[in-house]
Amino acid sequence: MTQELVFLAFAALIALCSMMVILSRNAVVSAIYLVGDLFSLAGLYASMDAHFVAAIQVLVYAGAIVVLFMFVIMLLNLGPDQRQHLQVSAPEVGVLALTIIGFLVVGGMLLLGQPTGVTGPLTAEAIENAGGNTYTVGMVLFTKYLWPFELASMLILLAIIAAIVIAKKEQNKDGDTRRLAHG
Amino acid sequence: MGLNELIALLSSDTAIQIIASVVKILIILVLCLQVPPLMVWAERRAPAMMQRRKGPNRVGLFKFRLYGLLQSAADAIKLIFKEEVVPRGANKVVYHIAPIFGVFTALVVACAIPYGNDLTVFGQKISLSPIRLDVGFLFIFAISSLAVYAVTLAGWASNNKYSLLGSLRASAQMISYEIPLGMSLIPLVVIFGTLDLNKMVIAQSAYPWSWGIVKAPISFLLFLVCMFAETNRAPFDLAEGESELVAGFHTEFNSAKFAAFFLSEYVAMFVLSALAATVFFGGWQTPFIPYDTLLGLVGGMEWLAALAGFICLIIKAAFFLWVYIWVRWTLPRFRYDQLMSLGWKFMLPVGLVNLLVTTLVVAFIEHAGRN
Repeated sequence: MTQELVFLAFAALIALCSMMVILSRNAVVSAIYLVGDLFSLAGLYASMDAHFVAAIQVLVYAGAIVVLFMFVIMLLNLGPDQRQHLQVSAPEVGVLALTIIGFLVVGGMLLLGQPTGVTGPLTAEAIENAGGNTYTVGMVLFTKYLWPFELASMLILLAIIAAIVIAKKEQNKDGDTRRLAHG
Repeated sequence: MGLNELIALLSSDTAIQIIASVVKILIILVLCLQVPPLMVWAERRAPAMMQRRKGPNRVGLFKFRLYGLLQSAADAIKLIFKEEVVPRGANKVVYHIAPIFGVFTALVVACAIPYGNDLTVFGQKISLSPIRLDVGFLFIFAISSLAVYAVTLAGWASNNKYSLLGSLRASAQMISYEIPLGMSLIPLVVIFGTLDLNKMVIAQSAYPWSWGIVKAPISFLLFLVCMFAETNRAPFDLAEGESELVAGFHTEFNSAKFAAFFLSEYVAMFVLSALAATVFFGGWQTPFIPYDTLLGLVGGMEWLAALAGFICLIIKAAFFLWVYIWVRWTLPRFRYDQLMSLGWKFMLPVGLVNLLVTTLVVAFIEHAGRN
């Protein structure tokens, strides 16, 4: 019972923060709500006894990635959303309608279908016996899922190198003045 | 509900845990809130001592000057009664919540540090830190990485070009030094084999030759430097350095909000000092007196032993706070590019090599131990 209540509380927080991310007039306030979103998601992980993943979620996502978002938003210097009244364009209405329909479909499927109530093998006791959260995640990540792990890090490296190359090209377009300044 | 039933309810397991948690949180909160006034006093009397002058010693109450301790009280009262001016064009919502991030992260991390060994009260095992997780270490880093938002949002919400510049520089500095900070503590996780801070303190027995600083001295040096950079202090304080960008990211914040930033800075200093004491200097372990001997000495009264451990931790953290002040008034400020190149081109490679060597040594020792 408490498990369901905790889940409902965090899920409501996530839904609320996600809505506010979209509905805020200011991009920085959206980023703050995104932090709230990720924090609540970490809470959800923690309620399922996945403490390691919860801490890593806050550390990486909320503590680094959204900071990066915020830097970009601040450097772009976007003004607040200029719309005063609730003006919606046609594509937005379409997306809103699809979202509501999808919500109803999934909700209906969940309510009508019977949840199995079967827990998987990774219960809290099983993880404790296997050596704790960090140990199991580490073991699995470096033995069974080594390939995806290394490939993911290669992907990130690719993205960084691509970003540097693209940014560098735009700098050199300015001509010689740039090089003089750095000389 | 009769009185007997009430007492029975309050004596149940969960009720004792809840009451213990509330008491622990209140004690830690009060403790953390005592640090800024004392630090402000030390911050002004210590450099006076080093510079052969007297610090503030005029504020007195009923002819008791008290070596200038009341100056902090006068400062606090002044800050509360100052007029609060919100700059025109500042984003109202973000302006008001920016200080909250700093205070929240500092106080929450203070709750994750073990202040003593587990006590048994009314048959219940109570840990002496309000937040006791098996990934306590990661939790501290996760929450302290949210402290960047206080700086970033404060500068942005002020509608002031120079505040924005100062805050972007300060937040870039903070996120740059978060990496060597974490990297310098991972070798200790490898050495002690646990992410739980209390287990780490127990693993460093009371004898100083098995403390963290002896087992990982390079980590200690890296952590010491990154400690200063994370809290925007001492030689790394150009973001808030006086005579640079006025007051940097908190220029436009006055009265209570400035007090909040001040508070968050000093509580973050205390928290990092306590973390250094916990991980490198044995935490709540009394030097040379193992916990069992200590228990025997105090005649089996666990709370006295816990109090002794608590006082030891506070003394060790106070030493590091003194180091903060000492370094601040001794070293000149780093230039921004020097700071960033130090962080990325020196600290990060040294931290990585340190981690590699430590892991190899530990693996070798374990392998040799197994055979």
